[in-house]
Amino acid sequence: MNLKETVNGTTLGDRLLFILLLLVSFTGIIFIKDVLPQSRDVTIEAEGKLTHRYPLDTDRRVEVGSPRGRFTVEIKDRKVRVTEASCPNKLCELQGWISRGVIICLPAGITVTVGGTEEQKDRKVDAITG
Amino acid sequence: MQLQDKRRIAMLSAYALALHGFESLIPMPIPWIRVGLANIITVAAFILFGFRAAMMVTLVRVFIASLFTGSFLGPGFILSLGGGVSGILAMGAVLYILPGLFGPVGLSLIGALFHNLAQLFLAYLLFIQKIEPVLIITPVLILIGTVTGLLSGLVAELLVKGLKKSEVTIQNTPQ
Amino acid sequence: MMKQFAVHSSQFAVRSSQFTAKKMLFFFLLTTFYLLLSTFLYSCSPKKESLYRKTMILMDTLVTIHVVADSEKTADRAMTGAFEEIGKLDTLLNFFSDKSEVSMINRNAGSSGVRVSPETFEVIEKAVYASEKSGGAFDATVGPESSLWNFVTKVKPKDKAIREKLGLVNYKLIVLDQEKSTVELRKKGMIMDLGAIAKGYAADRAVGVLKRHGIKSGLVAVAGDIRAFGLKQDGKPWRVGIRNPRQKGEDDEILATIELRDMAISSSGDYERFFVIDGERFHHILDPRTGYPARSCQSVSVMAQDGASADSFSTAVFVLGPVKGMNLLQQMGFEGLIVDKEGKIHVTPGIKDKIEFKRNS
Repeated sequence: MNLKETVNGTTLGDRLLFILLLLVSFTGIIFIKDVLPQSRDVTIEAEGKLTHRYPLDTDRRVEVGSPRGRFTVEIKDRKVRVTEASCPNKLCELQGWISRGVIICLPAGITVTVGGTEEQKDRKVDAITG
Repeated sequence: MQLQDKRRIAMLSAYALALHGFESLIPMPIPWIRVGLANIITVAAFILFGFRAAMMVTLVRVFIASLFTGSFLGPGFILSLGGGVSGILAMGAVLYILPGLFGPVGLSLIGALFHNLAQLFLAYLLFIQKIEPVLIITPVLILIGTVTGLLSGLVAELLVKGLKKSEVTIQNTPQ
Repeated sequence: MMKQFAVHSSQFAVRSSQFTAKKMLFFFLLTTFYLLLSTFLYSCSPKKESLYRKTMILMDTLVTIHVVADSEKTADRAMTGAFEEIGKLDTLLNFFSDKSEVSMINRNAGSSGVRVSPETFEVIEKAVYASEKSGGAFDATVGPESSLWNFVTKVKPKDKAIREKLGLVNYKLIVLDQEKSTVELRKKGMIMDLGAIAKGYAADRAVGVLKRHGIKSGLVAVAGDIRAFGLKQDGKPWRVGIRNPRQKGEDDEILATIELRDMAISSSGDYERFFVIDGERFHHILDPRTGYPARSCQSVSVMAQDGASADSFSTAVFVLGPVKGMNLLQQMGFEGLIVDKEGKIHVTPGIKDKIEFKRNS
């Protein structure tokens, strides 16, 4: 009694079921992530280009800058704030800690977004007016 | 239930328990993933002696194993029991509705699939209560269950064939 | 015992030989079902046409463009063109830049007309139109009053100062000369501020650029001034959320959502720039007729064919209040949602069925 014999002993049903289950599980692994909302990210964009992307649940400090200015982004306890901004009016610092939404630094042309597109996908909205 | 049946069930349960115990010695990368070696005995019991025997063997294994490991009525026990019973029920249903379509491998795959689905459902209801992590892990568990189900199904097939072959010799041997 | 054993196992042997065409058919059907399901899933996810999104800071705010295109190259080219268009409008219309045409018009107030680009001329024309239709509730010459208020330092101007400047706020004193393409402010000290129309107009122009690049579906959001055209890659219309003017927690940011099909939507709210003194809220939307913040609404969203109208009329309706505002919307054929000062929501009949509320408010 060897392996080959055993494999030959399986019915067509066995084999089809095996292939079917493999297909289902692989499809599931591939698609399930698209279906579910992803955990929140902090994305930093300068001049319309993505420069950094970090998970919101890892505390860290990042220095970001563009030719027009620079500041530090602090992620802590699933919240984000901007500190040590080089701009004169420091409007971005005044926004304080946010856990959702966006901090804009106009002089530097940098945006810090919490959630981003996944967040909006989650809410099934393409844009927000107001 | 005849005495012979009881004997068989006791024997098979002992085998299942042994495999169960052996399996717990194998280190696994993730704690709750199991190869499901005891499934070999369940499938063989099913094919050789039918639904009731398979159910008995599974129940005995689950209860006694939990007593050995001290997890009786704990979370692990509930998951094992739910998964085991669902697997048997699914195998029974498949054999009843579509007799002959599946051999041991198919039955083993069905058993593994419903074992996993039932455990996930129970885990969701009782312990996790968040649908996202359960859904993410479901296809992964189905994949693993399919692979291990195939292997234990093949072994079960070997076992069944071997037993059937030895029938002749056993029958000729005086008891 | 062994007899039984033999019976059982031979039963199994018999069973397996019963593999019939019927069961084959069953399995065939099962596989077909699976294939159909997976094709369905696959077609749901974008394949040929994808959604591309880009955000830039322009006009002192966040500008986000979404386009549906068959390649990133096409999308990039179109979006770059649209951003350039908005950037160009920014240099023409920026109230705070000395080099803008608007600043030039303001510097020459009371002395001479200024020759301006066709874009500046058009947006001022549209501003005057909105002023006329709203009876001055929207007025692009509110500049002398709005320069008195500072919402960063949170200082309320003196009543006397507000009264004194009122005479300088009058859209009828804007002189447009179509042939020479000149704009003149009649009185010295008049200040034109196109802040309540420029962003909507910019969205219009950006959509025009996207269309010229062959884009069939897209959305341009200049802050909250949004214009959308076409359907998304999944065949659904664009969906826009209307911000809750009194957001308390994390999950009530959006009051309602609405589908946007070849339309523009804009909102005006008292929550964007404001300060509170003794429980009284002073915000940036001034009634041009009094010089004080308009009091009868918390937020107004207006849907119109073009962004310039949506933008300017959302301000006009905000100033007019829920009753007169509703009348104006109906007279103009626009749709809209008004949250009055008590938080009560008024909706035009045309969108009653199309709007989805997030909470039972």
